Amino acid sequence: MTRRVLAVAVAALALAGPAAAACAHPKTSLAYLEGQVMCPTCHTTLDQSEAPAARAIEAQISRRIAQCWTARQIEDELVANFGAGILAAPPHTGFDLLAWWLPLGGVLAGAAILGFGVWRWSRSREAEPAPVPSGLDDETERKLDDLLSRLD
Amino acid sequence: MTRTLKLGGQVVAVACVVALLVLLLWRLTHQQHAPKVGAAAPGFTLHRLSGNGSIDLASLRGKVVVLNFWASWCVPCKAEAAKLEQAWLRYRNRGVVFVGVDYHDVTNDGRRFVAAHTLSFPMVQDGSGDVTSGRYGITAVPETYVVGRDGKIVLHIPGPITGAAAEARFRAALKTAIGS
Repeated sequence: MTRRVLAVAVAALALAGPAAAACAHPKTSLAYLEGQVMCPTCHTTLDQSEAPAARAIEAQISRRIAQCWTARQIEDELVANFGAGILAAPPHTGFDLLAWWLPLGGVLAGAAILGFGVWRWSRSREAEPAPVPSGLDDETERKLDDLLSRLD
Repeated sequence: MTRTLKLGGQVVAVACVVALLVLLLWRLTHQQHAPKVGAAAPGFTLHRLSGNGSIDLASLRGKVVVLNFWASWCVPCKAEAAKLEQAWLRYRNRGVVFVGVDYHDVTNDGRRFVAAHTLSFPMVQDGSGDVTSGRYGITAVPETYVVGRDGKIVLHIPGPITGAAAEARFRAALKTAIGS
């Protein structure tokens, strides 16, 4: 029994080390951040770049991930280092907000124009005049139909 | 009503095309090119790479200034670093100031580069590239400018100062600028 308790204690101590070294929150990944961060010299995201500057930034991101930094903390550091242009997505503040709202506004305006056009088209169809009567009596019309069918 | 709508649509379409053309023209006319020899060196104020404070190019007026644009990820910059340090040690007591501009670089990498190459001249950081690309039209490093006492560019060397020809041009320009 004593041996068992001792074994459990040793196992707990062995696991305690790595557990303490682990992050308090889920780690972000280089693959994720490579799609969020731009290469400053080639103006593509890091995952599409082989430029030396991109490799240097990737190395810095990897170091920060190993130090348990969150994606937000890493992005903030990169912005402080390289400016807001280092992020692939524009900021949600000031003039840059336009980049987020303009496409949505465009879609809404397009839908409104399309809706208005459909509404006008359906109204013009409803207002189409009824067929004008020929002015012939039923008997004459029947004879005319007979004659036309014989000609076919 | 339909005619008015059609006309309105045409006006909007033409306005969009005109706006795009104006944008294209603006981009073409505002593209930054490297400042020419004889022109005034574009001014800047940049934070020092290590420690606090910043360097304002205008504050160096009256001195010969060597502006060297570099980055830690740039391979030719490594070969050039020792040459620049030698030149700095040789000319620093003759009214010459060297300023290294670390371009699009991770701050810690830049500091490590300075320490590894024991560079002792002042260094500033241009992480966003606003000065290097925006004002000096530089897209690849290293590049070096020699600025005279009057703030005008005396020499521009695109590429490293490692070859005999580039070194000779650099020294000649420095001597001329010091003598003037």
